[in-house]
Amino acid sequence: MMMVHPGLPSVWAAALCVFMLALSAYILLANTVSGRPAKTISLANIPVLGAFVRALTGTPVILLFLKITVVCLFVLVIAAGLSGSQIPERNIATVLTWNIWWAGLIISVFFLGSAWCAICPWDAIATWLVRRRLWRRAHPNNSLNLRVSRRLRSVWPALVLFIVLTWFELGVGVTSSPYMTALLALAMVLMATASLAVFEGKAFCRYFCPVGRTIGFYSQLAPVELRPVNTDICAGCKTLECYYGSETVDPCPTHLVMGRLKQNTYCTSCGNCARSCPDNNVAWRLRAPSREAIEDARPHWDEAWFMLGLLALTEFHGISMAPFFEAWLLSLAALVNDSGKLLWSFSILLLSGMLAVVLAYAFFVRLTQKICPGRSEFKKLFSGFVFVSLPLAFSYHLAHNLSHLFRESSGFGALLLNPFGLGAQPLSMMEKHSRHQDILFSQDFLFASQAALLAFGFWISLKVIQHRGYVLAGAAGLRLSPMIMFAITITGLHVWLLMQPMMMRF
Amino acid sequence: MLGRPSYSLNEDSTTPPSMQVETQIGDYYVTYMVFPAFPSPNQPGRVNLYASRIDDGRPFDGEVAFKVRDDSLFNDDEELLGVQLPDDNVFRQGFEFREAGNFIVRAEFEAGGEPYQIDFPLQIGEPARWGPLGLTVAAIMVLLITVNFVQRNRLISDKIRSGRQDRAG
Repeated sequence: MMMVHPGLPSVWAAALCVFMLALSAYILLANTVSGRPAKTISLANIPVLGAFVRALTGTPVILLFLKITVVCLFVLVIAAGLSGSQIPERNIATVLTWNIWWAGLIISVFFLGSAWCAICPWDAIATWLVRRRLWRRAHPNNSLNLRVSRRLRSVWPALVLFIVLTWFELGVGVTSSPYMTALLALAMVLMATASLAVFEGKAFCRYFCPVGRTIGFYSQLAPVELRPVNTDICAGCKTLECYYGSETVDPCPTHLVMGRLKQNTYCTSCGNCARSCPDNNVAWRLRAPSREAIEDARPHWDEAWFMLGLLALTEFHGISMAPFFEAWLLSLAALVNDSGKLLWSFSILLLSGMLAVVLAYAFFVRLTQKICPGRSEFKKLFSGFVFVSLPLAFSYHLAHNLSHLFRESSGFGALLLNPFGLGAQPLSMMEKHSRHQDILFSQDFLFASQAALLAFGFWISLKVIQHRGYVLAGAAGLRLSPMIMFAITITGLHVWLLMQPMMMRF
Repeated sequence: MLGRPSYSLNEDSTTPPSMQVETQIGDYYVTYMVFPAFPSPNQPGRVNLYASRIDDGRPFDGEVAFKVRDDSLFNDDEELLGVQLPDDNVFRQGFEFREAGNFIVRAEFEAGGEPYQIDFPLQIGEPARWGPLGLTVAAIMVLLITVNFVQRNRLISDKIRSGRQDRAG
């Protein structure tokens, strides 16, 4: 029997609709773009917290301790997946990977930006194996240090891998198989190690890793950033330790120069820049979470497709967990005479879902192009307006994952006592019902949080449209109506998806 | 999700857990259940199959042939497990395997003049759990040794080249 979680009540959905309409009307009527200077607060200057932040960025010990802890958990996941019980809810491999980490990862971006990348076990293991150093600068001869070919120097590989990962996750059903979860973990380590041994820097993190790129793009909306304390010091710097590294600290793994850094996308939060800077001029700081997506991030063609892919795949996650999805799958399977795991039908639905989002976006961009003065290039508008999809995808992703995390993390304590699930039986109906009732916080709090997140995402998306519309095409007010319609359509879809009952993972 | 195995246990029953897969093919919706969920070598087990028409839910009432083969590439050797008639609309096929391994059970029937073949996985005993780990470790070792070897050759070539340049200069 499949258990389902209740969806967002209609009263919240109605409130969201009213909010969307009111805010849209305000933006349509306003003919100006407010440009206030960016305010930031250096975390290093905050009492108590500042000391911890300075220790975290100044010495590698805390980071190393966190890496070792995460790697130990990762090894446990592989061991449990390969040799433990194959009942997914009784094995720590599936529960920790999909119910806790995969759901919590996106929530961590909301608070900590790309901090996960700094302690990522795939990269940590690969680095230890190839560089043969726990933290100090490694001998460069342990890698072939080849440059990634020009064609691959984009986020296209990460987008393709992200689609493949989603196909494995939702189509093949890796989430319900501890064994396949362990295989996937091993495959990621193998790819990270091969990339590090062959290419210079951390090409896997920058170009190939679907999780890292997802975190990177969402980090544009994070409230924290690693930046120069004083930009004048960077302007006068001739040695660029942040880029080249120092005698003891590795260079920036993704080839970023701190003095010119405007966006979080490729920053892996490793802290090399902070440790290598002779002037201690790099620190974590708090900022307005939306500013980067609204103004600072520069548009790129490949990144535009990744952001759209992110929006489409996030929505597809939600759709595939709604009870009606199975009926769609059955109808399509009957049409194409598919059987077995229905992977053909699933693949068709996945690609159709992605195509629908891209076509909808292209349609609204084209409308904007038609009604804007000056007739900007379609490609320029396509790449420029795409930042609107980030807050929409992120807010829905967070709202969806909150439901997983709040409702499906119960029983984890018991699992820690028997992580391999040795001798364990599948959940009985009584246990399933009991877990279904056992929610981390109250259901009303969950619904309120989900509604607030969608409202926040919509608000940021309108700010993006307002600013980018002015910069890209000199458009304001009614001329922005097509892109506002896009934001309303997508948020409306997200509200509807959240209103649907959601199937429990297992 | 259709086609995915799910494990179930009911507290009203003292039976061990079973594994169930649901799928559809042509005009039929098919449910396949393996009992027990994780059969061991020399342990008797049973496959239950239920097929009903998608349009009106009418159960299939012909006969179903169950065949089995090794789940490996390039293997066409198939063995007939048995041919079953419905018992209360369910086709029940017993089995007992002497060796552990991964097998594919094929259920074959004919309806409306069309042949139907449905393949289901059947795992007997514990799979080679540590094989993938060994393969990964081996792949990483080969990779690192190769990179090291290439790099060593590169360094030696560089040294020779710079030595020549020094002498020439």
